[in-house]
This record gives sequence, structure tokens and C-alpha cells, in this order.
Amino acid sequence: MSNILEVQRLTKSYGGATAVNEVSFALEPEKIYGLLGRNGAGKTTIMHMITAQLFPTRGEVKVFGENPYENERILSRICFIKESQKYPDTYRVVDVLEAAAAFYPNWDRDYAYALLEDFRLPPKRNMKKLSRGMLSAVGIVVGLASRAPLTIFDEPYLGLDAVSRSLFYDRLIEDYGEHPRTVILSTHLIDEVSQLLEHVLVIDEGKLIMNEDADALRGRAFTVVGTSSKVDAYTAEKEVINRSMFGGLASATIVGDMTVNDKKQAEALGLELATVSLQQLIVYLTRGNLERKAVEV
Amino acid sequence: MNRTAGIIKMHYRDKWTWFIIPWSIMMFSFVVNLIIGVFLRGEEVHYTGGISSIFIYLFIAGMFTLSQTFPFAISLSARRKDYFLGTAAMVAMVSAVTAAALLLLGIIETQLTGGWGVRVQFFHLPYVNDGNMLQQLWIYFSVMLHLFFFGFVMASVHRRFRMTGLILLLAIMLVVPAVAVTVLTYYRWWDDMFGWLSGYTAFQHTLWMLPLTIVYALLSYLFLRKSTV
Repeated sequence: MSNILEVQRLTKSYGGATAVNEVSFALEPEKIYGLLGRNGAGKTTIMHMITAQLFPTRGEVKVFGENPYENERILSRICFIKESQKYPDTYRVVDVLEAAAAFYPNWDRDYAYALLEDFRLPPKRNMKKLSRGMLSAVGIVVGLASRAPLTIFDEPYLGLDAVSRSLFYDRLIEDYGEHPRTVILSTHLIDEVSQLLEHVLVIDEGKLIMNEDADALRGRAFTVVGTSSKVDAYTAEKEVINRSMFGGLASATIVGDMTVNDKKQAEALGLELATVSLQQLIVYLTRGNLERKAVEV
Repeated sequence: MNRTAGIIKMHYRDKWTWFIIPWSIMMFSFVVNLIIGVFLRGEEVHYTGGISSIFIYLFIAGMFTLSQTFPFAISLSARRKDYFLGTAAMVAMVSAVTAAALLLLGIIETQLTGGWGVRVQFFHLPYVNDGNMLQQLWIYFSVMLHLFFFGFVMASVHRRFRMTGLILLLAIMLVVPAVAVTVLTYYRWWDDMFGWLSGYTAFQHTLWMLPLTIVYALLSYLFLRKSTV
């Protein structure tokens, strides 16, 4: 099977508002995907529909080739960890793990308890008494130990400190290496995860505005810095997505591959070239999207 | 692993909801009544209604267990069907165990201790405990199941249709008794109704409650199938 997930013209509207608008994409197995976008862009709604927790207004979702709704064969292969997860009031950390063990066929109990120690989670502590960061860590433990063929993390590290966040990235990469699966990471902290991601989907205002290989994306733009007149000379006839001034210096971000010619030209003009981080690029592109919309209006 | 069993396990880990809280409430009432019995020095038989707390509790549990566990179960990739079947199985087991325990305590009360030595009738009541052992067991069991699913179907209306649905349901639940009272008064049917109620045994009354319980259960399943988290 080539695609693990196929989404066709997926749409979700509430009354007059459209949260997700005609989104189509397909995911291949055994890759780490980033589902990126600003708050309220529609990321969480899309993931809820993929896991049949929310019903699409229109469009189609196929996970492992089938509709996931009330489909035991499919659902048992999905693990969806969300930031806003509610737990029964009387549950302790250990209760969450033991309940999860009953639902994920690949659940690794020893691994789950080892992760609990890594994240310094007290197993007997009531879930209601955990801090925001610890609550997120419980979700991460469940998501990793489930080893579900499709594992989805929605903003998994809200409130987590830097140590725990890097612990999460390390464990994810390690375990992904030993037990390959498809992972979707949804976040707006793009820089931190950009090294992990193999493919990037960007959602803005309910629409899919980017669906690209992460490496290709990184090479899609670059920045030149130098005196304002020289930068102007250099960027003439190039597509500039961002331009800023500080004193006599200007910096411009240019879309396109950095070719040997570009480099030579920049050197001749005494300009400095720099790469653009994934985060910056996405910020430019989503902001640009807004500006274009403003012009249309 | 069977995912319906997973739901049962999920509920079973919540021992407070299913065992500790209902039994604590009832046992507190029992102790209070025993103390009253001691003060009355066993001069007359002291009947109490304290046992009803565990039945009322099941109604309330039916209402709150859905909002407590449904979002969690769905997030563990359980099917809505698994959730419904597992929850129904859990309640059936809890009701059966509770019914057996109540019956056993009733036997200790009447036949072994003479009302715990102070002529207190807490677990064994006239009318409710008429009929043979199996019938008494069935009365407890079916009333608990009935009350649970009554609460559960209300909660599933809320889950499926949110506040609008619940308000509509509550409006119906207020209007129907009001109309019934008016009709009974207008046609002077009150005596007939009481005659009908007392004309049958508790066991016979549970038999008409059974189809109603099944209707509640089926409706709640239909609502849950279309419910979101």
C-alpha cells in the first residue's frame, strides 16, 4: 500500500464559518510529517476528522485505505494525542497507562514505565493534580509507547520545559528508528521540530497552503543582506517575500533555489547570503497569504 | 485485545465511582440508622429508606459517567460501539454484584441478627423484598439498570444535541408529569392509579420497566454513534 492516509476535499463548517476548507493530501508510510500553522488554522479539526472523532461536513478520509469511522481494524492502528485531552476525575497516571494498554495492540508496557521515569512522572499521582507540563508528558508517554502505525501528536509539549522537550525529540527519533511508523506532529513551535520533519504541511485559515518535502522547502528561499542600494540591484527581477531595513542595511528574502550564479552575483556586489529557517519561511508565506487576501478585498 | 473488554477495564480502574462512593454513602446512612436504633432501644421495628441512596446514585452515575469517560475512551481509539457495550456490561456487573450484596445483607439482617440486635430494617423492606430470592435479586438488578440507563440516555442527549437537546428534554420531562397530573385529576383517576400500583407486586412492576430500560439503552446507543468528542 502506497498511502497510509488520504484526505480528499475535506471540509468542516460550523454554521457560516468554515474551519477546514477543501483540504486534500496524502501521507506515505514511515515518515515524520509536520502539520504546521497558526493557532485556529484548522489543524486540530483536521486531526479530529482523520481519527473519526469529528464528522466532516464534506469530503473523504481514508486511513489505511478505509473509512476510520467505527472501524476497529483501522482505529486500533491510530493513536491520537491531543493537548486538550480530558481524563476521568479519579484517574491516576498509572490508570491512564493501564487503560491505554488495553487499546493499542503494539503497546510496550516496559517502555511506557521507563518513559515515566525519564519524564519524572509520579505514577500514583492523580491526573487532576498534575501541572500542565506533566499532563503533556503523560500524553507523550502514551503516544510513544502505543507504537501505533499512525501516531498523531497535537501540540504535544504545551507547558513542557526545554529539558523535557528535547527528551521528547530524542525518544521520538530513537523509537522511530527501531519501530518505524508514520508520525504527524502538529505544532506552531516550528524551529524546534524542523530537524525532525521529513515533510511539511502548512494550514492557514482552513486551507492547505503548502505540502512539500522539508529539504526541498529549506532550499526554497534565501536571504541577502547588504547596503540597501546593492540589495535593490540584486533583487530586481527576483521574487521577494520579505524586505526589511536597519540603518543603511537592507535584508531581503528571495524565493527560489540559490544557484551558483546567484552566489557569484552576490559576491560581486559584496552581499551576504544566508539560509532561511523553516519557521521564518512559513511565517513569511502565511503572512504573505494574509496580505494577498487584504489586497483582494 | 477485545476493545469492549478494554472499556470494561477502563471503568473498572475507576473504583471510586463504581464501588467506594456509593457504598460509603449507603454505609454512612446505615450507621446513622443503627445509632437511631440503639436510642430507640429496639422497642419497635425501625424501617429506613437508606438503601435507596445506592439506587439514586446509579441514576446520577448514568448522567456523569458519560462526560467523564466518553472523551477519554474515544481518544484511545475505541469505537463508539465498544464504549456503549463495555459501559453496559460494566453497569450490568456492578448492578449484579450490588444486588447480591444487598440481598446477603438483608438475610443477615432478618434471619441472623434480628435487625442488627436493635430491630433496624435497613436492607430488608416490606413489599420490595416480597417474593423468592431470585425475584428479589431481579428487582434490585433491574431497578438499578433502569435508573442507570435513564441517567445515561439523558447524558447522551446532551452529548449528541448539546445544550439545546438537553433543555428540550428537560422541558418534556416537566410538561409530561404536569399533563398527567391534570388528566388524572380531571377524570378522577387517582384512586384507579393507586389501585393499579398496589395491585401488583414489586416484581411484576419491574417487568414493565424492562422494555423501557431497553428503549433507553437503544436510544443512547443511537445518540452516541453520532456524537463527537
